Amino acid sequence: MESSTISEKKGAEVTGCPVMHQDFAKTRELGAYWALANELRESCPHFYNEYENGGYWVFTRHEAVNDIYKTPEIFSSASITPWEPDPIYRFVPTQVDAPDHIKYRRILNPWFSPKAMEAAAPMMREICRGFIEPIVPKGECDFYEAFALRFPTAAFLTVIGVPTSYTDVFVGWVDAFFGGFGGDPEGAEGMATALGEMRVFWSEQLDNRRQEGHREGDLFSYLLESTFDDKPLDDEVLLDMCTVLTLAGLDTTRAELAYMFHHLALHPEHRQRLIDEPDIIPLAVEETLRYYTIIFGDGRKVTRDIEFHGVQLKQGDMVYGLVSGANRDPRHWEQADEFVIDRKRNNHFGFASGPHRCLGMHLARREMAIAVDEWLKVIPNFELATDAQLMERGGGAMMSLSTLPLRWEVKA
Amino acid sequence: MKKLQISTACQGHGRCYTLAPQLLSSDDEGYVTISGGDPIDVPDDLIELAEDVVGSCPENAISLIDE
Repeated sequence: MESSTISEKKGAEVTGCPVMHQDFAKTRELGAYWALANELRESCPHFYNEYENGGYWVFTRHEAVNDIYKTPEIFSSASITPWEPDPIYRFVPTQVDAPDHIKYRRILNPWFSPKAMEAAAPMMREICRGFIEPIVPKGECDFYEAFALRFPTAAFLTVIGVPTSYTDVFVGWVDAFFGGFGGDPEGAEGMATALGEMRVFWSEQLDNRRQEGHREGDLFSYLLESTFDDKPLDDEVLLDMCTVLTLAGLDTTRAELAYMFHHLALHPEHRQRLIDEPDIIPLAVEETLRYYTIIFGDGRKVTRDIEFHGVQLKQGDMVYGLVSGANRDPRHWEQADEFVIDRKRNNHFGFASGPHRCLGMHLARREMAIAVDEWLKVIPNFELATDAQLMERGGGAMMSLSTLPLRWEVKA
Repeated sequence: MKKLQISTACQGHGRCYTLAPQLLSSDDEGYVTISGGDPIDVPDDLIELAEDVVGSCPENAISLIDE
């Protein structure tokens, strides 16, 4: 009780802005989180969001979110979930600050670089076709279940050197983990179990490579041969790295894919534009990442007392940069609230910004572009197959649909 | 002559060289090759594209300068 009294005083005294009690974990109607971000941003540049035993600052506008990302020496990544300042997991290198952070990134960057993804593209395209072909004659599917969950998972596993037969196992782990990531207490146990099982799997893979030697095109072999300050990576770090790659790579792309295809289902003119001008598919992917960002906000831990955009922050405070607010902030964007399919000046924060920008961004984009291209080639026209209200998982983790029923005409 | 300059703030988002492969390319880690280096010439017919490139960078690392 004491801490909540302190928090209340802090919010009211310093900002003159409302203290709020928003639960960002709960499931809401599709689009509700972006609407909430718009509402928060336009009513105040910052809030203090209180939960049962604590609270954190929310910065709602582009300028402040940009400044948080650009000053990692003040806004540490030691925790990126403001409702959990001391999480049970450690993501490497996500939760590592300078000077060590860049050393880990330089190990991983080449594996996920645009050039590496260009090389992997034909294989990804083949996997993608393999998922689409059996769906076409059915005339309908749950896009989320039949495609969005599976294609990015299979593509990712192939990129790191794990057989695609593990696709369903990984889908289960990632679902269980994100059931608890957003702060929902009911999901905490499942999250811990999934983490444990994943770590066992990675340990087995690493042991296998140690015993059987180097494999070409295999991330485990590559990591075992990598060095940090001229020493091999220790086991804990290896496991932390593998875990974050999986979690970050699998849950996110499926969610973005579902939002993109939901948009395309409702906008035949945009489908036609992408069929006529496939060269703009990469721009449409970026606009999806701006307009339909799945990152409601991004947390950081304050390293020292500082006044920031009119708020007196204390060392150890948690802040939450409202990425979904920034990505549609009319102070920054022209046509902020419109999906501009060929937007070029698109410096969105859908992959974050600063030194911790998404490592897997080049993989994610490539998967999304291939998915759209391949799908439209064989299913150029499709629509929503339900009148029911679609729901989205809370932005406490990352926003995501859980179902997307689509239908199309099958040629006789 | 207009020139494009890219600072060491580049984090390898790749939007600049994707938009303008005629002007820019990436290194093996995904950073733009001229990050932190000398500015490059922008031909007159590519100035609008160069302006798009400036606006595409989430790190504000790119400037179009007169020289």
